[in-house]
Amino acid sequence: MSGSFYFVIVGQQDNLVFEMEFLPAGKAESKNGYRHLNQFIAHAALDLVDENMLENCSNNMYLKTVDKFNEWFVSAFVTAGHMRFLMLHDIRREDEIKNFFTDVYDLYIKFAMNPFYEPNSPIRSNAFERKVQCLGKKHLLS
Amino acid sequence: MAQCVQSVQELIPDSFVPCVAALCSDEAERLTRLNHLSFAELLKPFSRLTSEVHMRDPNNQLHIIKNLKIAVSNIITQPPQHGAIRKLLNDVVSGCQPAEGLVANVITAGDYDLNISATTPWFESYRETFLQSMPASDHEFLNHYLACMLVASSGEAEPMEQFSKLSQEQHRIQHNNDYSYPKWFIPNTLKYYVLLHDMSAGDEQRAESIYEEMKQKYGTQGCYLLKINSRTSNRASDEQIPDPWSQYLQKNSVQNQLISRKGLSRSLFSATKKWFSGSKVPEKSINELKNTSGLLYPPEAPELQIRKMADLCFLVQHYDLAYSCYHTAKKDFLNDQAMLYAAGALEMAAVSAFLQPGAPRPYPAHYMDTAIQTYRDVCKNMVLAERCVLLSAEILKSQSKYSEAAALLIRLTSEDSDLRSALLLEQAAHCFINMKSPMVRKYAFHMILAGHRFSKAGQKKHALRCYCQAMQVYKGKGWSLAEDHINFTIGRQSYTLRQLDNAVSAFRHILINESKQSAAQQGAFLREYLYVYKNVSQLSPDGPFPQLPLPYINSSATRVFFGHDRRPADGEKQAATHVSLDQEYDSESSQQWRELEEQVVAVVNKGVIPSSFHPTQYCLNSYSDNSRFPLAVVEEPITVEVAFRNPLKVPLLLTDLSLLWKFQPKDINGKDNEEVRELVTGEPEMIGTEVISEFLINNEESKVARLKLFPHHIGELHILGVVYNLGTIQGSLTMDGIGALPGCHTGKYSLSMSVRGRQDLEIQGPRLNNTKEEKTSITYGPDRRLDPIITEEMPLLEVFFIHFPTELLCGEIRKAYVEFANVSKCPLTGLKVVSKRPEFFTFGGNTAVLTPLSPSASENCSAYKTVVTDSTSVCTALTSSASSVDFGIGIGSQPEVIPVPLPDTVLLPGASVQLPMWLRGPDEEGVHEINFLFYYESVKKQPKIRHRILRHTAVICTSRSLNVKATVCRSNSLEDEEGKGDNMLVFVDVENTNTSEAGVKEFHIVQVSSSSKHWKLQKSVNLSENKDAKLASREKGKFCFKVIRCNEREGATQSSEKYTFADIIFGNEQIISSASPCADFFYRSLSSELKKPQTQLSMHTEKHSVEDAVSLIQKCNKVDLNIVILWKAYVVEDSKQLILEGQHHVILHTIGKEAFSYPQKQEQPEMEPLKFFRPENTTATSRPSLEQLSNLIKTSLHYPETFNHPFHQKSLCLVPVTLLLSNCSKADVDVIVDLRHKTTSPEALEIHGSFTWLGQTQYKLQLKGQEILSLQLKACFVHTGVYNLGTPRVFAKLSDQVTVFETSQQNSMPALIIINNV
Repeated sequence: MSGSFYFVIVGQQDNLVFEMEFLPAGKAESKNGYRHLNQFIAHAALDLVDENMLENCSNNMYLKTVDKFNEWFVSAFVTAGHMRFLMLHDIRREDEIKNFFTDVYDLYIKFAMNPFYEPNSPIRSNAFERKVQCLGKKHLLS
Repeated sequence: MAQCVQSVQELIPDSFVPCVAALCSDEAERLTRLNHLSFAELLKPFSRLTSEVHMRDPNNQLHIIKNLKIAVSNIITQPPQHGAIRKLLNDVVSGCQPAEGLVANVITAGDYDLNISATTPWFESYRETFLQSMPASDHEFLNHYLACMLVASSGEAEPMEQFSKLSQEQHRIQHNNDYSYPKWFIPNTLKYYVLLHDMSAGDEQRAESIYEEMKQKYGTQGCYLLKINSRTSNRASDEQIPDPWSQYLQKNSVQNQLISRKGLSRSLFSATKKWFSGSKVPEKSINELKNTSGLLYPPEAPELQIRKMADLCFLVQHYDLAYSCYHTAKKDFLNDQAMLYAAGALEMAAVSAFLQPGAPRPYPAHYMDTAIQTYRDVCKNMVLAERCVLLSAEILKSQSKYSEAAALLIRLTSEDSDLRSALLLEQAAHCFINMKSPMVRKYAFHMILAGHRFSKAGQKKHALRCYCQAMQVYKGKGWSLAEDHINFTIGRQSYTLRQLDNAVSAFRHILINESKQSAAQQGAFLREYLYVYKNVSQLSPDGPFPQLPLPYINSSATRVFFGHDRRPADGEKQAATHVSLDQEYDSESSQQWRELEEQVVAVVNKGVIPSSFHPTQYCLNSYSDNSRFPLAVVEEPITVEVAFRNPLKVPLLLTDLSLLWKFQPKDINGKDNEEVRELVTGEPEMIGTEVISEFLINNEESKVARLKLFPHHIGELHILGVVYNLGTIQGSLTMDGIGALPGCHTGKYSLSMSVRGRQDLEIQGPRLNNTKEEKTSITYGPDRRLDPIITEEMPLLEVFFIHFPTELLCGEIRKAYVEFANVSKCPLTGLKVVSKRPEFFTFGGNTAVLTPLSPSASENCSAYKTVVTDSTSVCTALTSSASSVDFGIGIGSQPEVIPVPLPDTVLLPGASVQLPMWLRGPDEEGVHEINFLFYYESVKKQPKIRHRILRHTAVICTSRSLNVKATVCRSNSLEDEEGKGDNMLVFVDVENTNTSEAGVKEFHIVQVSSSSKHWKLQKSVNLSENKDAKLASREKGKFCFKVIRCNEREGATQSSEKYTFADIIFGNEQIISSASPCADFFYRSLSSELKKPQTQLSMHTEKHSVEDAVSLIQKCNKVDLNIVILWKAYVVEDSKQLILEGQHHVILHTIGKEAFSYPQKQEQPEMEPLKFFRPENTTATSRPSLEQLSNLIKTSLHYPETFNHPFHQKSLCLVPVTLLLSNCSKADVDVIVDLRHKTTSPEALEIHGSFTWLGQTQYKLQLKGQEILSLQLKACFVHTGVYNLGTPRVFAKLSDQVTVFETSQQNSMPALIIINNV
């Protein structure tokens, strides 16, 4: 069985840059009322991400699971430019999430190179969305 | 955790104090009641000792107890009810709110600056009450009664009796099995006897004597005489006596109330019920202190004795001994697996260890953790667990172990108590923010969680406060769903707390941010917003309209239109298009209109545009010049188009939508009368306001509303904004998952659910960029499009077109009618029309008779003025003449500006006049947009508006008809019919290029006319027998005409603008070409044609001004002949035959050069290769071309075509030949005639050698301007044969030119002569 995932890119000022939900087939839109909770949990995990960053000596971008709230795990990935990728997930999938983060990072860098994109601003791109969706399907929901 | 008033070292001893029971006689109780206090309450302010207490421990060591406090309470034999405690705690928390205007601390953490109140007094009050209201239990003795006060009154009949009664009563309560409550510390409870004496009522001596008796019986140590006062008389005095009881009273007054709490208000989202995992556990009775591990000690068990000992030590602050006892007890309990007892011992051991003076050992936090876990998980006793957590958290806080404290606090949140969870979460949040590196985001999250629990616990104010504090962290960072949730909750809570303004602003935030919510959610938000807003507006029904956030208004897209709406077409009548809001802005066309207006204004003002001129703008938009106040005319409507956008996924319904304005009236004289000069709003007598009753904007739709004002008075109008009822449509959405507001169920929402409010229209002007200052700063100019000045009445023209065609053949002439109507109350004059395409239309010249006057009578009539002729006159021209001045084409005047020939030059109010208007299809095929600008003025001069305009754009589609090509060349014959002057031949090729299948059957050329100042058609030279001059599709016809010079005599008397018209008729009707409309169009085409090459000509003249003569040379090649081809086309349309008429013009300038009726497509010249050397002969260009020079002299040879000569008689044959030399120019020309054969070519020698010229072989002559000279030559032949006589070479140059060499003149055609032998 595959769980639910919520992915968010957080900018340097704790601003939301990009977010996407990955729900297993059939569960889609079933929990509309929870959507803000995802944001709350992810946002609260930022403190632990930052703390983890200070303690993290291995220079790994992938920080594994940094926080937990009820049934949700929060895994994090911090880019060199201090963009924070967070993933809320209700099942443990360390490798898949790591791969997903790495691929999205690749995608993000390409996107950020676009001179018309102001770094740290919300990403509003259908192409980017579609590609992240594909990566999610590939790594998380399969 | 937040900062507390008490330190933990004060808190814990105060929380565990020796408990003393009070047992009062009825009389004593009555006595205390006189002061509205119970006995326990009476003692409360005095329950802390200010003096030191000395105590000896088991080792007989003296200990000093400071600040000993005891708790006295009346004996209640029932254990406290769980519900009552709950209610009490709830009331304590809700009664304690942050003080108004409390200055919050500013905490800076990372990028966040947060306003946070550092203290949480409601939590401290809760904790205090919670600890005090702990029910006594069997596993610990801390709150068991250590002693009992027996209280009797001095006023009793038998006080000593009463004391022994009370003593027996106490004994009965403690030892009778009927009472399991209260708990007593030791079996033989210490008794203290108190005699209560009311000084204001009782007999003091009696009291003293009873007291003496008591002391004798119970010992001095155990007795006390308490004197109290029950007087109330001097309460009224101003002296404020501090009331030591007041702070204790509130809490106790509610103690005994038992109120069953209803379910807490429904959660905001049903989903959020599951914020915390786990379903609600069935509440256990708090009294159910069953040792779940099974073991129960009897009260006298030795293990319990140790515990009792420990508790006693603890109560008297002997923490060293207490710790060791607790520690021992703990071991015993654990050995026995008595978990509840063990947890209790662990808890107190940890606290004692912490409180030990000098801190010999670190605080054993793990004791606490075990205790909490045991209480909660094994014993299922949340109250004990909570006490444990509160103590431990406070201790950890004092050691700055915030993270551990937070973890403890969070761990105890559960479903069974929302209030406890809320308070603990809030404290946890404070722990996060107080950490060495503050965890702001954790803080915010836990505040949200706390707020949520507060709201579930019915603590609305606290909930609102938590959400507001958390909002600081989430605000403006793009976490829109979270933000929406917070705003929604803030809105809800503010509403229920009647903080309506806050509620409105919170809901407003949800609606105006780019929302990611679903449609259903947005619908719910909107309805809540409207509901709250309605409540706000009901509070102050007469107040100003509130500003509504929805829908969005794109202020800069606001357009303003001055004037009436265009009338729809009325039968044949078609109103001028003018300006309307339906027209899209087009910078090109608006520039064109502006130029047209400038042209006509320049003409009116004698060629100068006045400096005060500004182009009239009827429609103001973001592109127009809005820097000046626009002028509107009284009694003419003003339409404002407002661009709305609905950002929501639900439709918005605006009702009773109208404009909001204020008006400054002026009196009629235009002077500012101070008394009149006041602002008026909403006065329908001044300004009428149109109301749109319903205006629906669908989800995410952009829509414009057009709102009208009708000014009835002059003055200054300011359009402020729009006012409307905002509502939504019911039924398109479901209310799933949306809780209703308290006291308002969903059924209340209906279509009428709407609020009235306004939105302002504020338009920012363009950024200024003229001066240096403006360039270096960002300043914006004003935008005045919404501030029109209402001026006095002006005439208003309406123009209608009747029979106005939409399709024409190229060159077709059609007669239409124009109706001018003055619909105002002012006469108008000075009516003119200006168009870039004056060749398209005419109102007829001055000479034209205005026939027929009504459009219906003119139907089926020819557009031309015709005269029936007899067929004999065919082939000879009929001449007439006309001056171009008569047709409005004077010198120097603007041909584009055409005065409209109004019968009286003035159009009176209400009057209308119909004028004929001829149209000619443009020569190019395709769709033509032709702009007419009508200009008119008021008869009475207006200072503000000098003139008004009306626009019309006609769209004409033209299709191909005829192509006419003409050339003119010199005739070889020298004399005309009358034997004098020049003559030329004109060849006219006419081609039917019409391609439409169904349309035109054939063209008939009915007449060819010439028009020129110097030339006229003389006759037709019939080349073919096509007398009808019919042209079917794709047929081509050729005509040849002879052209002669006009009578010089006539020409001399005529003005230079006089044109001679000559008509050659192919039918039986003559079209008077010198009359309207034929001549009109001819002149118009001429003037528009002249415009183009004129620029070229002026260039030429400039170059040649030095060499004046060269122009003379050129002139002799010039003609000014214009050919007008008049035709009829037979068209079958809907099986009806129609006859269309038309005319084409060919303007001939140069002899020998082809001219066309239709504009030649100019092929774009290919890019010339770049030259890297300097052009050599720059002067050569200034010379006239060889071709031009070679046309100075026209030569012709006159001789017999055949000549018979008897060669056998005479071997030499002499033939007389006349060489005619005609000077084409008007200047003197030197001519050299050379008869000698060229000797360059041997072949030519051979041919020409066969004849010779006799006599003088070279002539040098001078010809005056246009002189004809004949030269008698003789040719000599020796053989029969055919000879070419055209060998004389003629050279010519202008006489006064020395620098120019003679140029060989063009030879005329081969002149063949046949020499026969006879």
